[in-house]
Amino acid sequence: MEDSVTPLSVLAPQCDAQRERIRKLFESGASAQETLRQLCELADEIIRRVFGELQRVREAGSQGLALLALGGYGREVLFPYSDLDLLFLFGNEKTEEESRPLIAEFSRTLWDLGFRVSSAGRTFEECRRIEQDNAEFHLAMLDRRFLDGDKSLFERLDSKVLGGPERQSRPFLMAELQRLTRDRLARYGNTIFHLEPNVKDAPGGLRDFHSTLWMRQLAGDRRDPRISPVNEDELTRSAVEFLSAIRCFLHYSNERNDNTLTYELQAEAARRSLGTDDNLRRNAAEWMRLYYRHARTLNRQLLRFMEQRPPSALSLRQRLLNATIRSKPEGGNGKPFAVRDGLLEITNEQAYADRNVTYLLLTEAARTGVCLSREAERSIAYIMAHPELPQRNSRVPWPVLSEILGADYPGVALRPMHRLGLLIEALPEFRNIDSLVVRDFYHRYTVDEHSLRTIEHLQELADSSDPRAVHFAPLWRTVDRRDLLILALLLHDIGKGMPVENHVTGSLQALETAADRLKLAPEEKTEIHFLIEHHLDMSATVQRRDIFDPATVAGFAATAGTHERLQRLSLLTYADIHAVNPEALTPWKAEMLWQLFVSTSNYFSRTLDRDRLHASDEGAMLEQVRQLAGDAPKVEVERFLEGFPRRYLAVHSAAEMAAHFEMYRKLATDPVQTEVKGKHHSFALTLLAADRPALFASIAGVLAAWGMNIVKADAFANAANVVLDTFQFVDLHRTLELNPGEIPRFQQEIADVLNGKQPLEPLLRGRLAGILARPPKVAVPTSLNFDDSSSEHCTLMEVITQDRPGLLYELGSALARLSCNIDVALIDTEGQKAIDVFYLSAQSGKLTAQKREVLREVLQATLS
Amino acid sequence: MMKIEAIIQPSRFESVKEALAEIGIEGMTVIEVRGHGRQKGHTEVYRGREYTVDLIPKVKLEMVLPDQLVNRAVEAILKSAKTGKIGDGKIFLTRVEEAIRIRNEERGEGAL
Repeated sequence: MEDSVTPLSVLAPQCDAQRERIRKLFESGASAQETLRQLCELADEIIRRVFGELQRVREAGSQGLALLALGGYGREVLFPYSDLDLLFLFGNEKTEEESRPLIAEFSRTLWDLGFRVSSAGRTFEECRRIEQDNAEFHLAMLDRRFLDGDKSLFERLDSKVLGGPERQSRPFLMAELQRLTRDRLARYGNTIFHLEPNVKDAPGGLRDFHSTLWMRQLAGDRRDPRISPVNEDELTRSAVEFLSAIRCFLHYSNERNDNTLTYELQAEAARRSLGTDDNLRRNAAEWMRLYYRHARTLNRQLLRFMEQRPPSALSLRQRLLNATIRSKPEGGNGKPFAVRDGLLEITNEQAYADRNVTYLLLTEAARTGVCLSREAERSIAYIMAHPELPQRNSRVPWPVLSEILGADYPGVALRPMHRLGLLIEALPEFRNIDSLVVRDFYHRYTVDEHSLRTIEHLQELADSSDPRAVHFAPLWRTVDRRDLLILALLLHDIGKGMPVENHVTGSLQALETAADRLKLAPEEKTEIHFLIEHHLDMSATVQRRDIFDPATVAGFAATAGTHERLQRLSLLTYADIHAVNPEALTPWKAEMLWQLFVSTSNYFSRTLDRDRLHASDEGAMLEQVRQLAGDAPKVEVERFLEGFPRRYLAVHSAAEMAAHFEMYRKLATDPVQTEVKGKHHSFALTLLAADRPALFASIAGVLAAWGMNIVKADAFANAANVVLDTFQFVDLHRTLELNPGEIPRFQQEIADVLNGKQPLEPLLRGRLAGILARPPKVAVPTSLNFDDSSSEHCTLMEVITQDRPGLLYELGSALARLSCNIDVALIDTEGQKAIDVFYLSAQSGKLTAQKREVLREVLQATLS
Repeated sequence: MMKIEAIIQPSRFESVKEALAEIGIEGMTVIEVRGHGRQKGHTEVYRGREYTVDLIPKVKLEMVLPDQLVNRAVEAILKSAKTGKIGDGKIFLTRVEEAIRIRNEERGEGAL
């Protein structure tokens, strides 16, 4: 008997019976750790038996050949259908040559017994060399374990041969491991929140845990990687057990090495309460939340460790240099944080007991795009997890949140806010979609992940080479009230986690509670309400309507209402589609969206005077304004509103209209009414006056004389020729910001110029000369376009030119000199480009061809 | 067996899909395409820049059907895709010699 091997007909049923026993053990509730241990023991036993018998039969000596387990099997973690990673270690090339028939038969036997063998062979000498293009092999070698054969060979390899090369190659292996890990995480979109995650390779999967172990080992944290992680903290152990249980379950369910947690298997795992011991009944979505919680633990640990370890070997000089840099935090402005190694670090942990300080840090992240270090997050998490620590200001006020949301990189702050639970603290409604799986053919991520991705896709627009982003980048740069758009994106899908039939209804309910708690202004709430309510409209129009049909464009324009809303809705739609999955926003769809945006935007600017307000048709609005204006007589309010373009209604709230009406009533005693409101160095001027020649040019002139740069303006007139102009301008020299007492003098100067009490030219003389002397940073060629077809009474003139202070004054003056009346004006800027649309008339009609030509010549000369 | 390639307006896609589903046709390949026939493109000006839309977005449907279903499918597409305007699209029919289901190597109409 000793000279023969156990026949397969005997061994295979034994093996199968053992596998079946272990399977039943797992299904009856044994832990994953126990299951994996028993599977490993079974493999060890069979391997040793087959290997030993073959050695005896073939009379192969036990010297010079050792059998090693590598990778997961080396760690004594063997999943039901995982590969067996084996290494044949040869003392020399001669043994390698002689062992070939034995190895071939050994491998064949294991395959026939149902093991998936993945083997490699190396001589002792070969093991000394680090293969630069095979880092995976060397990483698997870190988990080597002796199985059978020449033990002294293994011990020599372990203690003498590999010691030196492994130590020397640590920087290389660490860098390679970091590269492989980064590539792996990127392959899965750098998120744990997949709807059908791969529990081994996706971020948060078991590979994250093993990569962390390898990194720690390479960094010298743990001398022996084979020690089971009993010393790891409870969270990690529990996460590893949970994910291991899922992986076992997936292997058994699929009967192969398939680690994708599909919808079907999620439901089954939830039904079995897999990985839980609290006997609570959970549906699939609730059970998946447990998965994401554990995945987050493993992923966070990996990322923290990746940040701590530089991926390349540093010389002593470099280390000393780094130490010098680190000892000098950037800024030095007394703030309890600093930028170190390109990440925001906390310099005074105690200060973070005050939530205001935490938000200061997050605002900095959102403003600069610099991420928080994992250590900074860890410190904040510690404070948040210990309620016994004194904590102040845990309620975030809207102005603070608004600053984060309205910054250039809101996603950079919102990500850690979500990880730390701060987002749910500030916006408890978000809890509804926290790690929420909604089964859908197209969506790849959980609802919270999708929502955060929408925001990240927008912030990427600032610096994107993606051809799909080209058209949308300028919209992002110039969008008004970015904070409202971002809040709408955070809220737009919250209804998906609420017991409502239509998720939009739920999201709007969430807005109600959020708006009350954050104390949003009514007009802010209205804007967000619009975006949530219509967040699917643009996408539906693009896909289900003929966007080249003018009626479709007109209908969509009616929905959007104003250019500002259109811009926000377009960005929201772009981001919403983009965040469904990486392929969802095809160039084709992006182009269609852009087409609809352009057509609708042009529709707005070309139809402004077509649609005038008839106050008597607007009963409810009229009544609201009347009440807000202290029960003013209805007829008087009607007279004021009659004839304004409908855009006036769309861009102003009832409260603003009531304020305008109050100013209108004072015109009888004071013919020029102005109001100035400001925030930081950005101000808004509202002016009411009876129409008069060169009115627009005069206001623009005073603003230029004070050094103000107009970035946006609207000029409207009602049926009684009362003009309402609004100008948004930047206080370039911070005159009004630093000297609020100058605001009344500024207003008085406007009134004096308009009333003819003060000439404008002397005020402007010095200012404009200085401006013209400065060369522009970006050259914008001038273009003038006339359109006679869009308006019944006016000629539209679109001017695109280099923006500069005083530009509107020059344009307005030229128009006034040529007796062109401005019926409506829409002034906008995009970086250094001014985009102005004027509705012009002369002698109560459109401009003649001759007048247009003269105007073109004059303006070309003025603007160049 | 015939292969039907239908190039239609994107806005008509849902209607066409529904019309085909009504006669029992669920399987098809849908491709987002751009092109033009007699419906030439146009130029849009936005903020001083001209955007020439010379290739108009369309949706292309592809399906291979047994002969007895082809006429009904064509009729369904015609009815649901037609608006009467230039740019409604085209339908192309091609004879298909063989169809093979990769999973079980089944051949002929049974593989459709």
